[in-house]
Amino acid sequence: MAEKTGKSAQTARQKSNRILLIRTIVLMAIFGIVTFIPLFWKLWQIQIVNHDKYEKLAIDQQTRDLTVSAARGTIYDDRGNLLAISSTVQNVVISPKDIAAGEKDAEEKKEAGKKYNEHMNRDFIASGLADILGLNKDDILKKMDQTGYQYVVLAERVEDDISTKVRKFMSDNDLYPGVYLEPTTKRYYPYSSLAAQVIGWVGWADDGTFKGAYGIEAKYESDLAGKPGRVISAKNASGTEMLSSYENYIDAVQGYSLHLTLDATIQSYAERVLSEGITRYQVRNGGFCIVMNPKTGAIYAMASDPAYDLNNPRGISDPVLTQYLQRVQADPANNEAAYQKALQTAQYSQWRNKTLNDTYEPGSTFKCVVLAAALEEGAVSESDHFYCSGAVKVADRLIHCSKRTGHGDQTLRQAAMNSCNPAFIAIGQRLGAEKFYQYLQNFGLLTKTGIDLQGEASNQGLVWDKETFTSENGITSLATASFGQRFQITPIQLITAVSAVVNGGHLMQPYVVQSVTDSDGNTVRTTQPTEVRQVISEATSEETRSILESVVGDGGTGKNAYMAGYRIGGKTGTSETLVKGQNIVSFMGFAPADDPQVIVLLAYDSPTPSAPGSSITSDGYYISGGNMAAPMAGELIANILDYLGVQKQYSAQEMADVLVPNLVGLSSADAQSNLKSKGLTYRTVGEGTQVTGQIPAQGASIPNGSQVVLYLGAEVPTAQVEVPDISGCTLDSAQSAISNAGLYLRATGVSGYYSSSTVAISQSVTAGTMVDPGTVVEVKFVDTHIQDYAEN
Amino acid sequence: MATKAKRDLTVEEQLARGPLDLPFLMLVVLLTGIGVIMVFSASYASAYYEENNPAAYFIRQAIFAVMGLAVMYCISKINYQTFRWLGVFVLILAVVLMLLVLVPHIGVKRNGAQRWIRSFGPIPQFQPSEIAKLGVILYFSARLSKRSNQKAPKRDVRTLSGRLCNFADHIGLTELLPYIGVLLAIVALLSREPHMSATILILGVGAALLFAAGVNMGWFICGGVSAAAALGFIMLNTHYMTNRLQMWQHPESDPRGKGYQALQSLYAIGSGGLLGLGFGQSRQKFMFLPEEHNDFIFSVICEELGYVGAGLILLLFALLVLRGYWLALHARDRFGALLIVGITTLLAFQVFLNIGVVTNLFPVTGISLPFFSYGGSALMIQLAEMGVVLSVSRQIPAPRAN
Repeated sequence: MAEKTGKSAQTARQKSNRILLIRTIVLMAIFGIVTFIPLFWKLWQIQIVNHDKYEKLAIDQQTRDLTVSAARGTIYDDRGNLLAISSTVQNVVISPKDIAAGEKDAEEKKEAGKKYNEHMNRDFIASGLADILGLNKDDILKKMDQTGYQYVVLAERVEDDISTKVRKFMSDNDLYPGVYLEPTTKRYYPYSSLAAQVIGWVGWADDGTFKGAYGIEAKYESDLAGKPGRVISAKNASGTEMLSSYENYIDAVQGYSLHLTLDATIQSYAERVLSEGITRYQVRNGGFCIVMNPKTGAIYAMASDPAYDLNNPRGISDPVLTQYLQRVQADPANNEAAYQKALQTAQYSQWRNKTLNDTYEPGSTFKCVVLAAALEEGAVSESDHFYCSGAVKVADRLIHCSKRTGHGDQTLRQAAMNSCNPAFIAIGQRLGAEKFYQYLQNFGLLTKTGIDLQGEASNQGLVWDKETFTSENGITSLATASFGQRFQITPIQLITAVSAVVNGGHLMQPYVVQSVTDSDGNTVRTTQPTEVRQVISEATSEETRSILESVVGDGGTGKNAYMAGYRIGGKTGTSETLVKGQNIVSFMGFAPADDPQVIVLLAYDSPTPSAPGSSITSDGYYISGGNMAAPMAGELIANILDYLGVQKQYSAQEMADVLVPNLVGLSSADAQSNLKSKGLTYRTVGEGTQVTGQIPAQGASIPNGSQVVLYLGAEVPTAQVEVPDISGCTLDSAQSAISNAGLYLRATGVSGYYSSSTVAISQSVTAGTMVDPGTVVEVKFVDTHIQDYAEN
Repeated sequence: MATKAKRDLTVEEQLARGPLDLPFLMLVVLLTGIGVIMVFSASYASAYYEENNPAAYFIRQAIFAVMGLAVMYCISKINYQTFRWLGVFVLILAVVLMLLVLVPHIGVKRNGAQRWIRSFGPIPQFQPSEIAKLGVILYFSARLSKRSNQKAPKRDVRTLSGRLCNFADHIGLTELLPYIGVLLAIVALLSREPHMSATILILGVGAALLFAAGVNMGWFICGGVSAAAALGFIMLNTHYMTNRLQMWQHPESDPRGKGYQALQSLYAIGSGGLLGLGFGQSRQKFMFLPEEHNDFIFSVICEELGYVGAGLILLLFALLVLRGYWLALHARDRFGALLIVGITTLLAFQVFLNIGVVTNLFPVTGISLPFFSYGGSALMIQLAEMGVVLSVSRQIPAPRAN
């Protein structure tokens, strides 16, 4: 029994030992092998498969990557005036994380009885910054609640005066890194609104970068922006430098500077003329003006109205737009949304560069091109005669001339001077549709000019295609095209084409950026004048110039642009728009006619007629290019030529004498209108309203355009003056020398123009003689140019 | 006391003087050595910022490691049969300490849990749960080793209670009751601290010992199913747990809050790549990775030594575990075998959980990595446990020359 029990106990023990053995092996397999498999697998997933992802995330948090912004390049005009410049300003930034940490630290130190920074608390910092920045303290406190962040901007681009205060506040109270300044740049436009649409402005793009939004700022973004640099340094979780710190610098590349062909002075002339005309003629839709060097295509000025202040591009300062917005706001039917929409419309309209973003029907200014093409092809000559009955029937359409009664018989020159539509229809027909179209193409009127500015409009689809134009049915198109209607081109296309007409036939590519320089002043690239093609011959160009000079100088439609001494040529235009009752009045002018230095296209969009359908404004101006644009353009051209230092040229006729009337005893206003009617200019001395004396005296014979001095109560000087020596002088300099002495000059000896090649060879009163003020000195000039030829 | 000549020793005593298991010893020393060195690297930044001495933690850990190795050796010299009666006392001690830890000023509160008993004089601060683990292993092993020797008590089959008891005997419930009682008591005490990871470890080790000792498989199936059901219920129905699971699946959804630890650990491990950034080159240890020389030391290892280095360390652990079970299989008696199974399972389970947490295989819970995580008392207790294994290994009979 005992043996049996012992035996069964032994087998039971053996059995349980076997169980222990087997189960230990099971545990061994589980804990020694199976559990390690997922660990190896998971590590493989993290370390090998997703290595790049986690490495990047880790590096992002371990490194402090500071961007060192590159200074944006400066924009200069052709004389080195600053048009756009960047300066460093500061963003005021807080780090709520560091503030919270600092606060905690201060509290702990306070409890421990150690020295602590009592100013390191939210309340103090918030009220301090609120004071300096003019912000709401509660808003700042709210921002400080984001304690997970180290970068919360409180104020963007604050000027030096404020950032200095913040810096002092920071250092006085030892607030870094809870509060810090981050340098950034701000763009300034010293001339405010000058050439606003050309220069453009800089704004925040959707991707968070600060870059050019309009104009040259946008077009030349890659040049101006430069490349920002970086400082990469290791940091630990609390944001301070790591022990084994490393730093990596990538230098910023400063932006390139641009030197424009634009001239601030000429631009300001152009803008003044534009805005003056807009006020004077009650122009509704603004206008534009381009001033260009016809020989190179360099743009001197490019103005577009309405204008705006580049330093505040979203603000509306244009009087017409302001009125419009006030109307919208005052209208009780409009809500805020309507006002915002109107504001946006106004903004977009003031940002438009009308000289190239928009197209229009050029009207009669286009006749220059037709004339040149016809002359070049020999389709017409100066001896040809054209008859105008006031209207002409083309196909089944009756086309009227601007003069309903007709111009009668005219030479080619007269037809141009009269801007006679039937005559130009005839010229167009003589040229033929095929050739006509060819010249549209050659003058670059079917393609973009390629000017280096943003958003040049394409006029594709706004001009007939060749097939239509040259077909039977195209005959009316040819007729209207001959006087510049029923097709649209951009102003820049027109002025480029007319430049080719007057500069000897060279179609130039217009440009605005003369050169690009790096921050050290080295030239990166320069724009060379680019000739696209020669369209007409030098001879044809000269002939056309002469005819166009007659349009202004000999009493043509452009006679209001006439300025003595400047030899202005040009063509007026009154173009219809798609809206009835709205016309664009324009003038295309160039000078001097013998050797054009400058070409101008000036246009006003929609002067207000006194009544609907009327062709006169309420101030009595007849709505036409010749009456509105021409006088303004003439004055502009004269100013520009003076500014450029181009010698004046007077015709013999211009120098003809005038007898000085008696003015003493008249009121100042009467005397002035009297002188004006005689073609004399004047200057007043004294404050009175009655003329008490005059120089020269009544009956003196002085040249046309001379200046009479009116004394209004002031003493008439009687002291004798010395006659200056003017031998060898040109008319221009002789005249200034003589008039500076208080004398008058009468030029003789030249039959055509007194120009830079005509010089004085003798004077009626010898130099050094003392004479009464107002004495006329007769000076004899010879044309040295002709003499040279004789000698050769 | 003069040492007795070998011939005077009893068989027992002779066996106790047998050779240590060299592979196991070497693996333990190797892991301890690597662990201490990695503590140096991982704690470098914290030690610098907090104590101004980059080697501060390293020195302390190294001292404990040396002391621990000495303790291990001494324990290995003790005949492990002595531990048979020690188990109950260790368990009682553990329970007392776990009560004491709940007393303010004795227990140290950290991160909302009271798991540490503060240091008294030369005794460093330590977790009573470490003692409890050892107590459970000793007590369970001793008691389970006698399992097959116990006679079934005679009961009166005519009374209902007698029949019920007989039924309980038959299904093995009676013999389980003391173990369940001990485990429940410990779990109850741990839940007061609270200490989730120790609870899991102790339950796991207890279950492993019961399993190895031959307790009916039905209990494990029942236990496993009910535990899984309970866990599933808790996970799906308590807001706290669902939140936590969500954070486990998508730590990037709250990178600066609840997902921070897991995410920072992943950054560290991931940036290590195949070969790592090199020893001492961890960047995540610069205050990004919390507990970087403690629960998350393995992340730093992965970052510095790469997949290759981390894999090697895992391999060493696997070898140690395998060698441990091998020793259990060859142990002289059931007690020795169960001791080693308990200790080895505890170690393996802890390694698995720690690395699982660090690699985001499981939701984050605080659990240290044996031999590596900074902490003197835990290291010493671990090495003492290794000493127990070595002690058992001494009595393994040499393989007979065949």
